[in-house]
Amino acid sequence: MGMTYRRYLAGERIYGCSNCRTHLATIHSMVSRAFNGQHGRAYLFDGVVNVLEGEPSDRPMTTGNHTVRDIYCCKCGVTLGWKYEKAYEASQKYKEGKYILERNLLVDVQ
Amino acid sequence: MRFPDSDQPDASPAAQDAVAGPSSVGLDHPGPSNGHLNGNGFAAAPNGAPAASATGNGVQKHNGHSKQSSAASHALSVARVTLPGSSLYDDSDVDREEFIRLVIQSLRDVGYIESAATLEAESGYAMETPEVADFRRFILEARWSKAENSLQRLGVRDREGLWDARFLISQQKYLELLEAQRTTDALQVLRNELAPLDVDSEQLHALSSLMMCSEPEDLRQRAGWDGAAGHSRRILLDNLHRYIPPSIMVPPRRFSTLLHQANAYQRQQCVYHNIPMSSPGFSLFADHQCDKTGFPRVTTTVLEVHIDQVWIVEWSRDGNFLASASKDKSAIIWGIGPETEMPIREWEKRHVLDHHYGVQSLSWSPDDTMLLTGSEGHIKMWNAKTGVCIRTLEEHSEPVTAFAWLPDNSGFLSAGMDFKIIIWNMDGQRRDIWSLLPVRITYMAVTPDFTRLVAIGMRAPSPVDPRADGEGAPSGANGGTVTASPPPKDEHRLLVYDFDSRRNEASEPFEGELTGLSVSHNSQYALVSRSPDDIQLWDLNLGRMARKYTGHRQTKDIIRSCFGGFESNFVVSGSEDGNVYVWHRDTGVLLEVLEGHGEGSVNCVAWNPRNERMFASCSDDHTIRIWEAPPADMLMMLDSPTGVDYPLPVTKGKGKTRQRWDGDSADAGGSSART
Repeated sequence: MGMTYRRYLAGERIYGCSNCRTHLATIHSMVSRAFNGQHGRAYLFDGVVNVLEGEPSDRPMTTGNHTVRDIYCCKCGVTLGWKYEKAYEASQKYKEGKYILERNLLVDVQ
Repeated sequence: MRFPDSDQPDASPAAQDAVAGPSSVGLDHPGPSNGHLNGNGFAAAPNGAPAASATGNGVQKHNGHSKQSSAASHALSVARVTLPGSSLYDDSDVDREEFIRLVIQSLRDVGYIESAATLEAESGYAMETPEVADFRRFILEARWSKAENSLQRLGVRDREGLWDARFLISQQKYLELLEAQRTTDALQVLRNELAPLDVDSEQLHALSSLMMCSEPEDLRQRAGWDGAAGHSRRILLDNLHRYIPPSIMVPPRRFSTLLHQANAYQRQQCVYHNIPMSSPGFSLFADHQCDKTGFPRVTTTVLEVHIDQVWIVEWSRDGNFLASASKDKSAIIWGIGPETEMPIREWEKRHVLDHHYGVQSLSWSPDDTMLLTGSEGHIKMWNAKTGVCIRTLEEHSEPVTAFAWLPDNSGFLSAGMDFKIIIWNMDGQRRDIWSLLPVRITYMAVTPDFTRLVAIGMRAPSPVDPRADGEGAPSGANGGTVTASPPPKDEHRLLVYDFDSRRNEASEPFEGELTGLSVSHNSQYALVSRSPDDIQLWDLNLGRMARKYTGHRQTKDIIRSCFGGFESNFVVSGSEDGNVYVWHRDTGVLLEVLEGHGEGSVNCVAWNPRNERMFASCSDDHTIRIWEAPPADMLMMLDSPTGVDYPLPVTKGKGKTRQRWDGDSADAGGSSART
């Protein structure tokens, strides 16, 4: 637990929390733009920073059942998307351990 | 053993005044009134020429005084003792002659002239040859050419040493002539004696420029030299020691120097040392060794008001107040309660300072009237007496991580994760940017002598394979084969700047994460906490690591360490295992692992600046613990196998306390202090 500093990212394109501009991910860790979230378009990332993870829950999605955790901004607490814990269908396994950030909740920061 | 005072009751003070003379003022003489003493520790000839001649080891014979010392006559009656071998003891490698000569020097220094003479007679060793005594006299009496001539006889053999020594002598001569305003003679010395000695031209130029001084006072000032009547000749003698073999001209107070070294060595070996060396208890008769008595290793108070993790603690400069910063969005100022009764100090909450976010940095002003806190990008200035917020400064765009104060109460610096160090006036006016650093600053400290600013920080490296904006980004839901990578590790650096010029002196890259930094009182060292699991001592003068401390645990949290104890003898740190770790600074030995805090990390520790037997620690368990040396009545308890439950004062919200001595974990069972 203890005190930690938020992480800061570098690169041409940094996505931050639209509420408080906390750095979340760079374009270099983006896996896909072709996802949908609760607020429209969403991106799949290999790694994100400065998020807190909620409790796991099972959710039926268009591509089958998944166990996911909601993720929140560590500074302002806004919900940003979710993390895939487990995909039940073999074709969806690649998503495990990856993160969804909703495009409408992101802002470009530098 | 000590004999009653001799017939020279005023001898000792006189001898002490003679600063560095190997053989001090001759006590049989009335004092400095006689021509060659001059308070320079030069013994004319009280040490018994007859004795010397009797042993074939003549000290000097010259002296014009009729009052030949009684030592001499006494010495005559002493038979020389002849001993086998040359060592002091059969099985020792101490040279007997060297030892005896140092004893003679010491005896003479303090004024036991007769004993010295007797010892010379009995041992057959003279402290010095007559040439040495002559040489000393030549210097002190400004007989320069004679002094120069005797250099070679004193064993100054190599050409360079001889030239250097002659240069020093001629320089003194030159300065004295100038002081006496004999400019022509001085010029002669400069041309004929100094110039041919092959010294570098700058030095020669500096000397010749002194010709322009019109007044002797001006000359002394510019030359940094205190004149013929001052200590300059004695200083010259000290400097000449460098070129003359010490076996011929024994360095001043040699015995005492050796004893000081023994003292320093014992002090270094004494890992629990926490008292001044001058305090009673240090004796030549026994090796010095402190026990744990004076070492703070028991919790005397638990402060329990914060309702979330406590991240930082810092003592006021006078050591009477403690400030704490917490994740619970508050900082608290604590003070010793009014009804304090030793040995139990009662602490009370004085002020709670509210913020919008967790408080990540704080600092007391040099006069303790103001407290600065950093919470995200905001700096708050608080009146430490009233707990009122004076101003909020919103200049940093990222969290403020450290403060440092400028000399003369003229302002302060703040450092942030936004790469900036900002200079502020005491009233909170932004004055300037001190510097923009190449890293996001995670901590900063200015050395107490204001020569250096030290900072630690990090920056994210640019991605290895930068792609064009957006275009190269993968698309399609079946992106399993696409190579996207999680963000790379941050680069961490230790940066050192010259404080006045703001010039960068060092930029040291580190593996792992740097989380804490403090500088030593003598401004020489920086202590750097690094995860995983080590603390490094950096010598700022040499620009390299001097020591490492390990044993504690640090993998992900910001853990702070600090120096502590008498002369910063200890290094202390929090740890993710909930314990406080204390090391001996110079040896790196782990001294104590102090248990007591609950679940989570001990985040920060702070040693009381005025009481070397007290420090504070704060933890994820929401509490602050005050650690002190166990009071006398408790030491016995600590040693009892069962341990004792004293009531430990716990300061709750209302300022009520309860107390329990929470002993050394091994002894007291380390049971939880809280209920």
